[in-house]
This record gives sequence, C-alpha cells and structure tokens, in this order.
Amino acid sequence: MKYYFTRYLAVYPVALLYMLQDSEYRLRGYFKWLARTKDFRTVMKRRTVDYTPKIKLLRIVLWGLWLVTNIAVAVLIIISYTSLNYWYGVAAIILLLILPYILAYGITIPLVLGRIFIQKPQEKKMIEVAREILSHHSGVRIGVAGSYGKTTMKEILKTVLSEGKIVAATPGNMNTAIGISRFARKLTGKEEILVIEYGEEHAGDVLELAKLSDPSVGIITGVNEAHLVSFKTLETTVDTIFGLADYIGDKGKVYKNGESLLVATKVAARDPYVFSQKGVDGWKVTDAKTSIDGTTFTATKDGVTIHAQTKLLGLHTVGVTVAAIAIAHDLGLTKKQIEQGLSNVTPFEHRMEPRNLHGAWILDDTYNGNSEGVKVGLELLAQLKAKRRIYVTPGLVEQGSKTISVHETIGEQAAEVADVVVLMQNSVTEHIVKGLEAAGFKGDLLIIDDPLEFYTNLEHFVAAGDVVLMQNDWTDNYQ
Amino acid sequence: MKKTVAVFFGGRSPEHDISIVTAISSVIKPLELTKKYTVVPIYITKNGKWVSNNKLTDMGTYQTGKIDELVAKSKPLPVSFDGGFSINKKRIDIAFPAMHGAYGEDGSLMGLLRMAGIPFVGSDMDASVIAMDKVLAKQVASANKIPTSKFVFFSREQILTGLNMVTDAIEKALMYPLFVKPAHLGSSIGITKVKNSVELANALEVAAYYDEKIIVEEAVNNLIEVTVPIIGNDTLTPALVERPLSPSDGVFDFDTKYIHGGGKKGGAKQAGAQGYSELPAKLPGDLYDESIKTAVVVYKAIGASGIARVDLLIDSKTNKVYFNEVNPLPGSLYAHNWRASGMSTMRLVEKLIGYAEEKFAEKQKLTSSFDSNFLKQF
Repeated sequence: MKYYFTRYLAVYPVALLYMLQDSEYRLRGYFKWLARTKDFRTVMKRRTVDYTPKIKLLRIVLWGLWLVTNIAVAVLIIISYTSLNYWYGVAAIILLLILPYILAYGITIPLVLGRIFIQKPQEKKMIEVAREILSHHSGVRIGVAGSYGKTTMKEILKTVLSEGKIVAATPGNMNTAIGISRFARKLTGKEEILVIEYGEEHAGDVLELAKLSDPSVGIITGVNEAHLVSFKTLETTVDTIFGLADYIGDKGKVYKNGESLLVATKVAARDPYVFSQKGVDGWKVTDAKTSIDGTTFTATKDGVTIHAQTKLLGLHTVGVTVAAIAIAHDLGLTKKQIEQGLSNVTPFEHRMEPRNLHGAWILDDTYNGNSEGVKVGLELLAQLKAKRRIYVTPGLVEQGSKTISVHETIGEQAAEVADVVVLMQNSVTEHIVKGLEAAGFKGDLLIIDDPLEFYTNLEHFVAAGDVVLMQNDWTDNYQ
Repeated sequence: MKKTVAVFFGGRSPEHDISIVTAISSVIKPLELTKKYTVVPIYITKNGKWVSNNKLTDMGTYQTGKIDELVAKSKPLPVSFDGGFSINKKRIDIAFPAMHGAYGEDGSLMGLLRMAGIPFVGSDMDASVIAMDKVLAKQVASANKIPTSKFVFFSREQILTGLNMVTDAIEKALMYPLFVKPAHLGSSIGITKVKNSVELANALEVAAYYDEKIIVEEAVNNLIEVTVPIIGNDTLTPALVERPLSPSDGVFDFDTKYIHGGGKKGGAKQAGAQGYSELPAKLPGDLYDESIKTAVVVYKAIGASGIARVDLLIDSKTNKVYFNEVNPLPGSLYAHNWRASGMSTMRLVEKLIGYAEEKFAEKQKLTSSFDSNFLKQF
C-alpha cells in the first residue's frame, strides 16, 4: 500500500512500456513482473525504454486509455453533482483508483489483437516463404540444438568452415521459426553451407524447426534445466532437443555432447558421434591445454593431424572444437584451412570473454545462464593461476522445480574454487549461500543489492593477479 | 550495525580539486561498495565552509558547477563535540581525511579529530606536521642518517624584503641546478627547477606566492626519481616502487601531473599519476630493495601511520638513495599502485579504516589524566 501511489506518477506509464519491452512482449512474464512490482519508480535499473515504432504506438494507446478514463471520471463527477446522486461520485472514485490497472492491462489488448489478426498471419506467410526458399537451397544444412552452447558451436563452425566454403549462419539469437525465416529470406542461394541454430521454448519446437530447414548434419550441444519452467520435466526438454536427432535419423550424422550428463544418458554406448575432450568420430584428442591465452590440442584421425589452437578458454571447449574439426574434414576442408580457421576462433561476446583490468583478468561469461556453464566455468577458474579467484553470479533463471538444488550445487561448487564469492541479491541468493555454507566456504562473501553499481565499479574491487569469473546477468524482469 | 565514516575533502588549499577526486574516486565509492559503512561526505569549500549532502559524492556536481548552488543553499553544518564527534546530529565513528595540503593534510584536521576523540585514517597530527613541512622532514631524515640532497630554506618575508641577499646566500651554499619549492605544498604546485640566478630569483618569488617557508635544494645528478607507497602502523606493507617518467625539464608541474596525464600518449584519459610512470620501477642492482628499505625507515622516523608515500631520489652512478619528501595522504591514495601490487581499492580503504581503529585503540590504553592535589591549595 505504501507504494500504491507510485502508480499515479509520470514514471508509471513509462515503467509499463519498459516492462513490456523488457519481457519481449511476452504477456506471462509481463503479468508476473507487474504482480510483484510494488514501487514503480525503481523498475528501470539497467536501461530505459527504447522508443521503437511499436512502443510509440503502445504509448499512444496508454495515453488514450488515460484520457478516456479521466473523461469518464469527469463525466461521472458532473452527473453526480447535477443529479445529486452520490453513487456516481463513488463510481468516479473507484474508476480513479483502478486507473493504474486499466492502463496496465488495457495496454495488452492491442498486443493480443495485433498478434492474432496481424502478426500470426504474417508470420505464417513468412515461414511458408522460407520453407520454399530452404527447400530449393543447395547448401549443406547443419542444425545446432541444445539447452546451452548453441551460439558458441555455431560461431566455431562458421569461423572454421568459412576458410574453405561460403557459409551463412543464423545471426545472434534468431533461432525461432520466424528468426530462421528472416535468415532464409536474406540468403543469396550461393551459400555452400548453412549453419542454423534451433531455439527451444515449448515441447516439440526443435523438430518443427528441423522440418522447416531440413538439416543433414546435426549437433546437440547439451541438455540441462534451462527453460524448465515451460518444459516442466527434464524428459520433455531432452525429447524436444533430440527432435533434431529424430528428424535426421540415419540420413546423416548427429554429433552429441557426451560431457552433458543428460545427453550421455540418452545416447547409445557405441555411438561414434558422441564428442568429448577425448575426440569424436575416430578423431583422437591429445595434449589438451588451456590458459588465459586460449586452448590448444592435437586431433588425429587416419594419419591426418590437426594442431588446434583457439582463443577459447577452458578444456570444455575441446569437445565442441573437435566436433567442428570432424565436420570441416567431412565437408572437404584441408588441414591447413581447418588449422587457420581454428586460429581465428576467438571468445564470443560475453561468453568466457577475457579482458584485463588493472592487471586482473575478468572472464566475462555474463551470457551464460546454465548449470553446465557454471560447472565448466568454475573448473576453468580453478585451473588458472591467480592471487584471488573471485566468482560473481546472480544465479540462474527459469530452473523451475530444480531451482533450489541447482543453486545449492552452485554454492557447493563455488566454495571449492573461489576465494571470494559475489552474489546479486535476488530470489535464489539464499540457496547459493546455503550451498556455500554446506561446503564450508571459508572465503569472503559479498552480497550486492545493485548489480549495475557493482559491474560499473569493478575497478575498485579488483587488483593485479585476481581472476574474476562473472557468470550470468539478470535483466530487470527477473528478481 | 554499519559504522559511520565521515570523509573530509576539499578544503582551503591549492590542492582543493585534487582532494575532491581523491575523496570521490578512491575513498567514498570504494567505502560504499564494501557495504560495511555509512559514508558521510564532508566537503570543505575553498572559503572554509563545511557542507554535507549526498549529492557531494557525485563528480558531476563539481563538473557542472552545481556545487556552487548547493553550497549557497546549504545551512551551516552543526558540529558537536559530545564525548565523540557528531555532524548534523549524526554520530561519526571514524573520520577519513581525504584532503591534500594546508588545513587538511598538514595536521590541522588531525588536531581537530584528536580533540573529538575519534579514530581517523592516516598519520596523526605530529607526523602530518613533519611530513608536510619539507624542511622539517629533511631534518628528521638527516637526524636518522638518511641522506638528503643539500638544501637551505627561507621565510617568505626574507624573500620579499631581501631577494638579492637570499639568492646570494643560496649561490654560496648550493650548486646549480636547483629546485625551489614551497615547503608545505604538494602536487608539484609552485616548484621550479632553476639553472641561473635570474631563474632562481623568479622561482623564489613564485614559491613565496604560495607559502611562508621556501626550500631550495640541490638537484641530484644522474637522477632516478622513485616513490614508495606504504601502509600500516607498526607492521608496514610497502606497495611497488614506482618510477615517474620525467619530462625533459625534470619537473612535473600541476598541469603535467593532473591535466595532461604526465605527457604520455593518451595520458589525459588516465587519472592522476597513472599515466606517466614505470610500475614497478626497473632499477639496477639492489636499488629496488634499497628504496623500500629507505622509505620504511623514513616512514617510521617521522612517525607516520596508516598511509604515506615516500619520494626518493637516486644517483644512478653512485647508487646512492636520497630522501626527497614524504606525502602523508597521496593523491587518490595511489590506488593504481596498490592495485598493481595486488590490493584492490576496496581492500585498501578497509585496511586503512582498520589501521585507524588499531591506532586509536592503542592510544586509548594511555593514561590521559593525573590525580593531584594542586587545585586544593588555592
């Protein structure tokens, strides 16, 4: 109640627009955020509203709702005054009191209507056009699916294969049917290889995307608890991601990450396409080493030896890299082209990306939001030489029923490695702390209220010789 | 329960602006980030007015000139000595002076804080007085068998009334080239290197504009200049020996040091002393260890505590290390050096608070009263 009247401040409609935009116009997330917000003055912490045409349109709707409601209030007051019927006055007060809710929920009506009558038909049409384009495209299709590691795999493949082939890959996170359709529309037809990332939000998504793009080579990068909120069970997650393997069947090779526990339990014991730090499909890995400068190893098959040298950090990158070597070799790239391509592989933005700050190494892994990433990140932190090993995380989102156990495990894993643990105060902090305590963590624990303040003042926190691993970053719509 | 730390900055000193940067970037922000302290900023204007307001912790307040409006609107700050120290009725647990030069770093503020009876960061009044007087500091160093370059000193009055006599006396006692310095100022304000009597006379007049006491020193030949930041009370922790990379005339004036970033390419983007030094200094032979040893002896000799930075001069041919001066509150705490030696700024300010409390606790053990029958005889 203390903050109820923040709904009458000028910042309120702006906050509503921000919440919608930051939730990517997904109404479930928006309504949840709306329900838990008390003080609307503090909604926008990370950024402000980006006034796109869509937001400008919604702003007009908001002002329309505000104007109509206020006219109605004025009319009710006038009627109450002229008719001497106080019930009209009461109705005016009630209307004023519920005005914030009229704005908050009313703004979603044009979104829902727009989605039903404009967006959906347009998307359907766009997908059909893309299906047509892709069905006539002569390029080899490589599909990449998984709860994590998709972007890394896609970027490695794109970089390596580009040394000898014309390659196109779905950009950024364009991994939905509509994203892939937009990608397809931009193809010239001259591409020899298409690397297509498949996102998964609902059961059966990957199979549908595979049907749309018809891959002949598949890669399953790993399965974990990500999106468990929508999948409900891990079995559904596994089945959805393995939709790629189901689609390709015996028509082509499907590489699977054997270092992902949930993938390993699903694959046959003698499956030659299970990749790991040991190798894949006859490729044997030896001499794997990692440091802050990158990762090196040797891969050998049938007398061919590849000296792999990437700028990626961590031995967990060996598995995906050797899978990329296997695919590149199958597609006809020479040893020289493969080695050159691998040397061009650099850490991807916010994914185990190192930078030096006053003599300290900051490993920016803030786009990593999965438990496997936490595990391998902490393993890397343990391997690197450091005066202080500092682990920074807000925890993971969308872990569903596994939220408590996942975060207790993170606490336990961090306790083994870190000298300092920095947590961002939110709904999972207590579980990580419990894990730390259970593992007898003896280092310094710092719990931060304002993550942005911490990130922007990192220079005060670090000193030469420190290695700071920053994993995941929650946007304003998570608490 | 968080402890309340009052950070004092600004002040009636030519180093007023440097103090603002030290306070905001190297003291207040790191203290706030520790989440262990409630920070109360106490800004002292160039006219000596005390102001406390949360907007004072934002550098933009000073950069946009809003500070003048804020100061004008601020009511006089009530300060009470009530068996402790309260500002604006807020009890202060620890004071953190972030002031440079006169009325802050020179022992004045430390005297006030001693009277208030609260722990404060950095050297006590007596050590601050010695450290901030280049003449006194050299005399103390010499008494402790630490070499210093030859020097003479004069009062402002002597220079203004008998400039020729002063220059004659200097030329009899010392050999050119010489350094003329105001005895109490830091940040290289008013310092000139001179090579003849005309330059000497001009330099003396400039220095006399800033200070009541002027020191003239012989330059050290084959000079390597180094500086050693140190923290601690009894057990001392030195940071890295740092070598400022001198410009061609061998003098860092205020602009070179703080505005042009020391003349290094792109240096203007870097704060304070970070843009113009070799860190750690690459010194031949045992000179690195010798520098630390000398700095530690000086730190102890003047009775410094908490933090200080000792500047040394090395004759690279004779390998002789000379004491130059000591700075009881280095600009920005020399945080860049501490970071490079493995101590974060947050850790540094926490340690300094710890040293302040330790020193205060030690002093509390001393008896400060003496029972006598003296008054009864009247």
